[in-house]
Amino acid sequence: MSEAKPKKRFGVKRWIILALFAVGIYAAFIGPSILKPVSPPVVMPAENTGLHIGGFQITNSILATLLVDVLLIIMALSVYRFIRSGKMVPIGFFNIFEAIFEFMWNSVEGAAGKWAKRIIPIPATIFLLIFVANMVKLVPGFESIGLVEPSITGKGYAPVKLFQVGSLDVYTVDKGQPVNEPASTSETSTAQGETTSTAHEGICTSCDIIPFLRGPSTDLNFPLALAVITIIMVQVYGVVSVGPGYFSKFLPVKQLVSGGIFGLINFAVGILEIILEFAKVLSFTFRLFGNIFAGVILLSILGALLPAILPPLLYIFEIFFGAIQAYVFFLLATIFISSATAAHHSEG
Amino acid sequence: MNDPVAFVQALKLLGAGMAMIGAIGAGVGVGLAASGGVQAMGRNPDAAGIIQTNMILGMAFAEAVAIYALVVAVILIFVA
Repeated sequence: MSEAKPKKRFGVKRWIILALFAVGIYAAFIGPSILKPVSPPVVMPAENTGLHIGGFQITNSILATLLVDVLLIIMALSVYRFIRSGKMVPIGFFNIFEAIFEFMWNSVEGAAGKWAKRIIPIPATIFLLIFVANMVKLVPGFESIGLVEPSITGKGYAPVKLFQVGSLDVYTVDKGQPVNEPASTSETSTAQGETTSTAHEGICTSCDIIPFLRGPSTDLNFPLALAVITIIMVQVYGVVSVGPGYFSKFLPVKQLVSGGIFGLINFAVGILEIILEFAKVLSFTFRLFGNIFAGVILLSILGALLPAILPPLLYIFEIFFGAIQAYVFFLLATIFISSATAAHHSEG
Repeated sequence: MNDPVAFVQALKLLGAGMAMIGAIGAGVGVGLAASGGVQAMGRNPDAAGIIQTNMILGMAFAEAVAIYALVVAVILIFVA
């Protein structure tokens, strides 16, 4: 028994991790400049991938959201098949699923009580979508494989042709000499650009990589859409549970007529409530967007300082924050919806 | 002042830096949450798990304020 422990200490996984660190140090500091990590351009709006349906441009964050949707549908179908198979004890992957659902159910039931069964679909969907989106975003290659385009910021890299697959030329960028920018720093993600053969002479001297896939939460539209949906559902649940009287929260006309000076004050408070709903949308949006986008900036800045050892630790941090933000969004949606179902209980 | 474009750019960067002053409040908030959480865990070690969960949740909320400031700064630098 006592020999087992030192054996474990020098297990093979440890050497794999150390070897990966060594490869990282070699690529970042010693190896040829083609292996060096690059600094990805930090841009706020999502880039077009060149695909479009009709006149509607498909940006890379839409593509990533569709990928997340497909993953969620596959997960849902597999869980459905597992439940249909009649086994009561979950195995493997379904254990995680059961744990997540129990966790969500407990949170919602704690906040909403008897309404829990009716309001759980909205927060649970939001939680799973944000969670899977934030996890998928961290897969290597997600924000680094894309089209080679002329740089917008003027701080691009020179392209280098790697190999050719059919009519598809595969390029990477040379990180040794950043074009136009002598004092540029190196970066975490190993970027690899792909471009189609049609762009044979459109290859730029100073290039950025426009990724095919980009984390949905780093595009402002995704959190904004979720926030708007959440706030609309808050109003819907409010009307369903307390009837049309729910809107007397915003426009307390009855109290204005009968209540005298306090009615006036309540009317002003009602107007504040309307503003508060919009403030909720803003805070929902910027909380999720800001946290995930700040993660991207953090990776690109700290990765430039120490490209070899720091990024894996930052990735752990990012996994943690992705999960926390998904849970925060879920919890706030639950609380807002359940407080709307209980709103103005005693008042007529 | 001779170069208006550079002047506006400089003011943007200055504004972005000043927007991050908002991180002070969030720092105080996160510190208070941590101190309260550690004190509570010291007094009642059995409840450490649930205290830690709620502490991290509170930290995430407090941190969101700093993130708003960061978003304003980022918008000033990259968009405005």
